[in-house]
Amino acid sequence: MGLLSQLLYYSFHPNQLRSILQWKLWHEPVHTRDPAKESATLKECFKYLNMTSRSFSAVIQELNPELLVPVALFYLILRGLDTIEDDMTIPLEKKEPLLRDFYNIIEKDGWTFNGNGPNEKDRDLLVHFDAIITEFKLVKPAYQAIIKDITKKMGDGMADYANNAEHNINGVNTVEDYELYCHYVAGLVGDGLTRLFVEGGFANPALLKRPELAEAMGQFLQKTNIIRDIKEDIDDKRRFWPKEIWSKHVDKFEDLFDPKNLDAALACSSEMVLNSLRHADECLFYMAGIKDQSVFNFVAIPQSMAIATLELVFRNPKIFERNVKITKGDACELMTLSTQNLRSVCEVFQRYARRIHKKNTPKDPNFLQISMACAKIEQFIESLYPTQDPKALSLMHGTGEPDERQKKDKKAKEESASEIFYLLLAVVGTLLVISSLMVGAAWIAGARFDIAISELTNGKFFPPTDPASISAVVRQHDHGEL
Amino acid sequence: MAPVPSLPKKSLGKVLVIGGCGFLGHHIVSLLVTSSSTTSSQISVLDLHTTRNRRPESDNVAYFDGDITTLSSILPIFEKVKPDVVIHTASPTLAGGSKAMYQKVNVEGTKCVIEACQKTGVTALVYTSSASVISDNSSDLINADERWPVIPPKAQTEYYSQTKAEAEALVLAANRAPASPKLLTVSIRPATIFGPSDVQLIPAMINVYRNGQTGFQLGDNQNLFDFTYVENVAHGHLLAARALSATSQLNIKPLDHERVDGEAFFITNDSPVYFWDFARMVWKACGSTLGTEHVWVIGKDAGLALGGLLEWGFWLVGRTPKLTRRQVRYSSMTRYYDISKAKKLLGYAPIVGLQEGIERAVGWFMEEAKKEEEKKGQ
Repeated sequence: MGLLSQLLYYSFHPNQLRSILQWKLWHEPVHTRDPAKESATLKECFKYLNMTSRSFSAVIQELNPELLVPVALFYLILRGLDTIEDDMTIPLEKKEPLLRDFYNIIEKDGWTFNGNGPNEKDRDLLVHFDAIITEFKLVKPAYQAIIKDITKKMGDGMADYANNAEHNINGVNTVEDYELYCHYVAGLVGDGLTRLFVEGGFANPALLKRPELAEAMGQFLQKTNIIRDIKEDIDDKRRFWPKEIWSKHVDKFEDLFDPKNLDAALACSSEMVLNSLRHADECLFYMAGIKDQSVFNFVAIPQSMAIATLELVFRNPKIFERNVKITKGDACELMTLSTQNLRSVCEVFQRYARRIHKKNTPKDPNFLQISMACAKIEQFIESLYPTQDPKALSLMHGTGEPDERQKKDKKAKEESASEIFYLLLAVVGTLLVISSLMVGAAWIAGARFDIAISELTNGKFFPPTDPASISAVVRQHDHGEL
Repeated sequence: MAPVPSLPKKSLGKVLVIGGCGFLGHHIVSLLVTSSSTTSSQISVLDLHTTRNRRPESDNVAYFDGDITTLSSILPIFEKVKPDVVIHTASPTLAGGSKAMYQKVNVEGTKCVIEACQKTGVTALVYTSSASVISDNSSDLINADERWPVIPPKAQTEYYSQTKAEAEALVLAANRAPASPKLLTVSIRPATIFGPSDVQLIPAMINVYRNGQTGFQLGDNQNLFDFTYVENVAHGHLLAARALSATSQLNIKPLDHERVDGEAFFITNDSPVYFWDFARMVWKACGSTLGTEHVWVIGKDAGLALGGLLEWGFWLVGRTPKLTRRQVRYSSMTRYYDISKAKKLLGYAPIVGLQEGIERAVGWFMEEAKKEEEKKGQ
């Protein structure tokens, strides 16, 4: 995009611009790499990391210093393996032993490889692979063992695929094969990273007891990329969509790209999306096991991007014409939301699950299954962060057992009621004492209460004013004594 | 995946299904007859009328006509059958009863059933309650489980649910009660049952399709809802009966966190869906090829206002409109459950998926309609 068209785009999409600015201005890495303290070979490693990775290099470099180097080297080693596997100019008899032995190669001082074809974009990495080996041998032995183990498993898996002529001609056959492929290229990475995180004390060791969660993390990312990259892959003569799925919708794989088969192609891509979407709840579960912010950011950013990508490719005819990508603004917004906590990542997942649900149509053969998969994500999030509280509902309806606090409240109320009673009693008592003292004093001083009372009972409430009637009253009362 | 460990195959002994000719009841009888994991030495059915939904003679199901609202009507049947397990499903439908009838059948009838159980030495009573006992019919229920309070009568707007709750309380109170300490009870709360021979949900939705009214949507369709295929509900009942039978053979009382007797359990398909997606799947199973382009969305508030207006207008002329406020509320309400308790304690998992359930149910109604046509043609 030229500058002018960018200006035009962002003036009509101010939200996108806002997200980008927000990310650039306000994102503060939890940790930053300090090149000043690094050796020359380590600096070289990071050079290759920046060169080979578009999406991971930034998040890796913000990792906790304890994991920064092991994870970066893990990435570069697998990248090296991938560069050998990907290169069709290397003959099989040379490629296979390299793949199978790569876990030993990473310990051979000074090993380099310049057998890649001239067009291989990452060939430089292998040409200077000695730098990576040097640094790898400086890493803590526990981390080395994990990286070595995964490298062996992945190398063997890749060699099996390279050997498999069927696979090379016809692509992936069954859904099981598809998931096995994703296991080798992504599930294993999830496994290795999880072991590194737990070893470093940055993740809950319980994650090791639930290996399917780490597997889901890898599967979800890999499957989503495979759906998105369908056009790019077919142009490179590669086919990852399993025949078991596409053959339900079209006769030949190439038919997916024929606009007159669009409905079938969309139905096929929906089934692929459904297959990936089913991992989403396990991914959220996995992320609940991460204890360190920098590691959380590292795992959460790609996951958020994946669910957003899945929504973008869902029922999108453009995937059969070109490579589609989430916009830069959306990516920045997702990064902002994924570098906070699990709750905000759950909100991202819920938002995109609802958007997928909204795009879903009864015309789709998997209409109900997709609806159920979206609902499952929502239900899972609800189980992590419930909106309703049964205790509050019980209180509202006045049912159920009153809890401790309620009992206390009730007791306090009873107590305060009796306090008020005693207070009133004291006031009335004081008044009584004072009044009786006053009355007593008046009586001693000679007040004639008898006269006052009888006059009052006769209905005369006001004392007479003239002296004649006053003496009459007195006489009337005292006359018995005379 | 490893198969879910299942309880050892156990006989329930003699089973009596009350309401066994009704919608849910006859599915329970069918499952009892066909199930390979649960067996019984004799199956009997007690219903007001036992002419419909009968099993073929060869299945040896004994049918008895009786009225649960009078003890004298059912006690002789209990004495004759001598059931070990009683499954009580009898109730008027949500739409088909009067207040007096709900009270009489659901509350008084259940009292009679409990008494008959206590008097004849029954060991297990499984009661069909309803997931609606915790719904006030306007507030959402989001991932609700058994900790949610039963709505008290003053807040319950649906009399049906009120009487179901009352009956459930009676049943649960009868668990290990002094009158008969041997009797164990459990309550099953299914959420929105549907299936073949369903008298409420599926026929109503099929009618909407036949009348060409699929172009309306009330609310934003973000509300998740649980619909439960009838066979899964039947399965839940049998699992509960098995759990009670097993408990009754123990010498000690089970620990609180693994106790089934005296407890209530929600049963669903364990896959909530967006309300209108369920309806659209029913229409699709009927043959609809439409997407959602033709759908006219009426917001919840607008729908309530419209429903209210229509209700008043139709009230003036003494009729009920097609759109009521109650319908608007139902179709825009979130109402789904977390059934972890049933999964954990009963070993429950749905045996028929939601899509298959819809296809089976709609297929059954299509078959029935075809039979009707043929009859008319003759």
